[in-house]
Amino acid sequence: MPEVTLSTPTRDVLRLAQPRPRWFVPGLLAGIGSAVLAVALLACSAWLITVAAGMPSLAVLGLAVVGVRAFAIFRSVFRYLERVSSHDSAFRQLAELRLGMFRRIVPIAPAGLTSTGRGDLLTRLVRDVDDLQDLPLRVVQPLLVAAITALLSVVGIWLIVPAAGLTLLVCLLLAAILGTFFSGTLSARADRELAPLRGSLADEVLEIVENLDVLTAFDALNPRLEQLAQTDARLRKAALRRSVGIGVQSAVVSLFAGAATLGALYFGVPALDSGGGLLSPVLLGPTVIVAVLVPMAVFEVFGMIPLAGSAWRQVRVGASRVADVVPTAVPGEIPVDGVDPQTLFAPDRAIGPVVLELTDLGARWPGQHQPGVAGVTLRLAPGDRVHLAGPSGAGKTTLAQTLVRFLDYTGSYRLNGVETRLLAQSEVRRMVGLCEQRPWLFDDSIRQNLLFARDTATDAELDAVLARVGLTEWSRARGGLDARVGERGSLVSGGQAQRIALARALLANFPVLIVDEPTANVDSAGADALVRDILTAAADAHRAVLLISHTPVPDELVTARVTLPARTGGNPQDQSM
Amino acid sequence: MRPLDPRLLRYAHAARRFLLVGALLGLAQTLVVIVFAWLLTRAITFTVAGEPLRTIAPTLTALAGVVVLRSVLIWLLEIAANRGAAQVKSQLRAKVIAKIAERGPDWVASRQSARLSTVVTTGLDALDNYFARYLPQLLLTMIATPILIAVILSQDLISGFIVIVVIPLIPLFMILIGRVTQSVQQEQWQALQRLSTGFLDVVGGLGTLKIYGRERRQFDRIRSITEEYRTRTMKVLRVSFLSGFVLELAASLSVALIAVSIGLRLIDGALLLGVGLFVLLLAPEVFLPVRQVGAQFHAASDGLAAAEELFAILDDETTSEISRADSAAHTVQFGSGALLLDGVSVRRGDTLVIDHVHAKFFPGQVSVVRGVSGVGKSTLVAALLGFIPFTGTLTLDGVTVPAGATRDWLAWAGQRPGLFRGTVAENVALGTASADHTGRNQSLVVQSLRWAGVAEVSPATVLGVNGEGLSGGQAQRVAAARAIYRALATDCHVLILDEPSSALDSDAEAGLLVGLRHLADQGRVVIVVSHRAAVVAAADNVIELQELTHA
Repeated sequence: MPEVTLSTPTRDVLRLAQPRPRWFVPGLLAGIGSAVLAVALLACSAWLITVAAGMPSLAVLGLAVVGVRAFAIFRSVFRYLERVSSHDSAFRQLAELRLGMFRRIVPIAPAGLTSTGRGDLLTRLVRDVDDLQDLPLRVVQPLLVAAITALLSVVGIWLIVPAAGLTLLVCLLLAAILGTFFSGTLSARADRELAPLRGSLADEVLEIVENLDVLTAFDALNPRLEQLAQTDARLRKAALRRSVGIGVQSAVVSLFAGAATLGALYFGVPALDSGGGLLSPVLLGPTVIVAVLVPMAVFEVFGMIPLAGSAWRQVRVGASRVADVVPTAVPGEIPVDGVDPQTLFAPDRAIGPVVLELTDLGARWPGQHQPGVAGVTLRLAPGDRVHLAGPSGAGKTTLAQTLVRFLDYTGSYRLNGVETRLLAQSEVRRMVGLCEQRPWLFDDSIRQNLLFARDTATDAELDAVLARVGLTEWSRARGGLDARVGERGSLVSGGQAQRIALARALLANFPVLIVDEPTANVDSAGADALVRDILTAAADAHRAVLLISHTPVPDELVTARVTLPARTGGNPQDQSM
Repeated sequence: MRPLDPRLLRYAHAARRFLLVGALLGLAQTLVVIVFAWLLTRAITFTVAGEPLRTIAPTLTALAGVVVLRSVLIWLLEIAANRGAAQVKSQLRAKVIAKIAERGPDWVASRQSARLSTVVTTGLDALDNYFARYLPQLLLTMIATPILIAVILSQDLISGFIVIVVIPLIPLFMILIGRVTQSVQQEQWQALQRLSTGFLDVVGGLGTLKIYGRERRQFDRIRSITEEYRTRTMKVLRVSFLSGFVLELAASLSVALIAVSIGLRLIDGALLLGVGLFVLLLAPEVFLPVRQVGAQFHAASDGLAAAEELFAILDDETTSEISRADSAAHTVQFGSGALLLDGVSVRRGDTLVIDHVHAKFFPGQVSVVRGVSGVGKSTLVAALLGFIPFTGTLTLDGVTVPAGATRDWLAWAGQRPGLFRGTVAENVALGTASADHTGRNQSLVVQSLRWAGVAEVSPATVLGVNGEGLSGGQAQRVAAARAIYRALATDCHVLILDEPSSALDSDAEAGLLVGLRHLADQGRVVIVVSHRAAVVAAADNVIELQELTHA
């Protein structure tokens, strides 16, 4: 394909998508077999008829009769095998592709994936990764099949009428080059022209539909609709203008297909006149006819190339999006484990009491110039329950993400006196737990959503922890631990999701627990009760709790209060308050 | 799925024009195919007969002309298809948007608005493939297939019969295989849905998984869900691909049968080479459009599915009482007295959501409406706004507010900020006709922002789509400022704010409450729906909505 200027990260992504030869080659061979047989079917039929016209004995035709039938059947069989085998290999590679991407995402998530903080962008990343399957299926395979079949046909015809073979080669090359050139430049220009219009149309529609109440209440609906109609008209006009360019490619391919046939006729007739070559005169006539008709069949196979071209453009765009979102290197703001981390508590031993100390702690999000939080000094000892307040953008969420080592820090962050930079991240996370602002519930049962915090927990323990967070009745009403929470917890309200997340954290029994804005997605009626329940359930003489919340917290529930001062910097994830 | 939904023609005039133009072009293409095959046969028979190039030259020239004509016709059909797609999409979009606007906010609220807008934009774009790839082939199938069969029959009855016997087998087998596939797919559908989102679940929850030290275990999980996805999908595909197999087999076998039958009769001298070759060249063309229709079926069905959703919206004939009332909208002048709700009830379907609410809101006072979650506070607000029909009476300063009256006495801010792309000033001045950038309006915008407790946001700040670029708390206060602006600029007598401080810290909340007090002091009716203790403490009048016992 032309216009290939792929960045290295994009190329790395694409490499992950192409199945290994052991999986890929069987489908490729079947594809070539099917395409070659399609050409052979036409060639053999034409040969059969022209030979028969000379009224030979039936025996002469016997082989051709068998051949025609066999080609017809095996062509379809091979095509079926090709589709099954190539899809199977693409799916096999999907596992490798997903694992490869996951391996790159693990060290940087979640803080390094800030641009995917919005759910729809994350969905798109995952879909982009999955769509990379199209690379072997719709790009590499058809290109190879078409190219190899075309090449074989050119050689075959060249053996019969050399000039016709060359004409076919030239026509194929011109069709390929001009076809991709036209479709490439034209559709690229069209996309450049249409994409922004499509984007603004989508934005305007979304704003109108989502805010229909506001527009109606403020008598602003009609001007908006007029504006939308104008955008729509602009998009329609642009689409009409570019429709002229779109069909050029098919027209070019059809033109060269005809040219190849004409060329074969033009060169074939004198070849027949002069006689000679490799073949006996009796067979020469029919063979030349084959040379005239084969280009038609070849160009039918060749029709796959333009489709592969447009599939390639989509795959390439998807791959570069994936490469943009998932950097190959871990950004400097995200911690990486040292070579030989210290240990506070051996992995097989229970975690003891933990004292957390911060001195002048600061942290920054990847891609941001300003620190998201700075100058925090704080001490959390077992039994402490601290309410951390502060205005929007003060860096409360940044602090939470830093404490579980999703972000690296400046200043000092010690656990039992040891600088956490020297510890393995996994060990820090055994001591410091976090209930996130938007807790992620997995599309599974309540039991599974709790069990991964402690997979040895019995049902009785799970019920007990649900009771502590005030979910007994709720879970009973839904059929107990086996009730499903829905995709992304869609069957669970914001408050219940927070309670499940807390139950999870209690099961894991972190000595230090950070609860980040539990009421962010809860209506204010439920907010006060939720804060109260969380602090009551989490209270424990051996545990330190840091509650981050913008809503007021009653005095009797906390042992201390800290307020972060307002900051101008801000951070991308601290948007919900 | 119907191949061509008649509603497409009903709702989009451009579709009708495209069908006509496409049919004409398809007819021309078919004729060109026949002429091409005929000229080619003629050239070949001349060649075989040993004619010199000189004799064949006119045929070759004509052939060249036909080749050019063929490629021009292909081009024209593509142009027509793409133009048709653009026009039909535009027409459908306009109709649906108009319908959505007519149905009103309450109707939108009962659906997923994001889904609604996706259908209108990217969903409709799926029609591109339907128009550009599927519909032309469908037209060709309907036009070219019978003509080509007739031509073959006229040349050679036996070949014609072979085609006539094979062609109906194709849809027959497709339907049979389709049935089998469908049952296999339905069995697998749930599992496939779950498995296909499995990877998303793991990636999305990675932060959570890391907190619990579970990230390393996900490698096995990803591998096993993907592997299961593969085996299950392949099970479906093995059957689905059979329909393609049957298509290919029917097409190529009938060509083979025709070739063999022609060959055998040529030996007997029962047929001329010219006729045989002509028929052999036409035979694959009979099957080409049918095969293309089969190949493009999936691409097209996405578009049809999107169109289907639109038609469902357009076909929905249940008229809402509100939209009818709106057409008789009239303006009533109100004084500046109290707002009185007398026996206001709201039904949703068969359920009574609000039962005979009596309430009086006085001018010069800040009133708070509260009640437990789900008691219908927002429904009451929607009824006051005229989004939902209600029974009972609503009077302002002793004058009954008729159901269809324009709400120019009311300024409101909802629970969702509902901001737009543009500057903060444009957002705050939304809908006021005098929203030019005169000094007075600018200062009014600044004042509104200050009274909403969000003076730190500059009016010149440019927001993204849906007001992106502000924190949740700021957006909420800018929305409140917008209501305050409307109250000040158009002298609205009543201001209603629905949960204006749910995302605010106590300082910001206090700022907003001071602003609301200013508005009440100007003699307005100020109503705040809230639970927050600070809001309730600052109120002159608290109205408790009771939970309905039978709800």
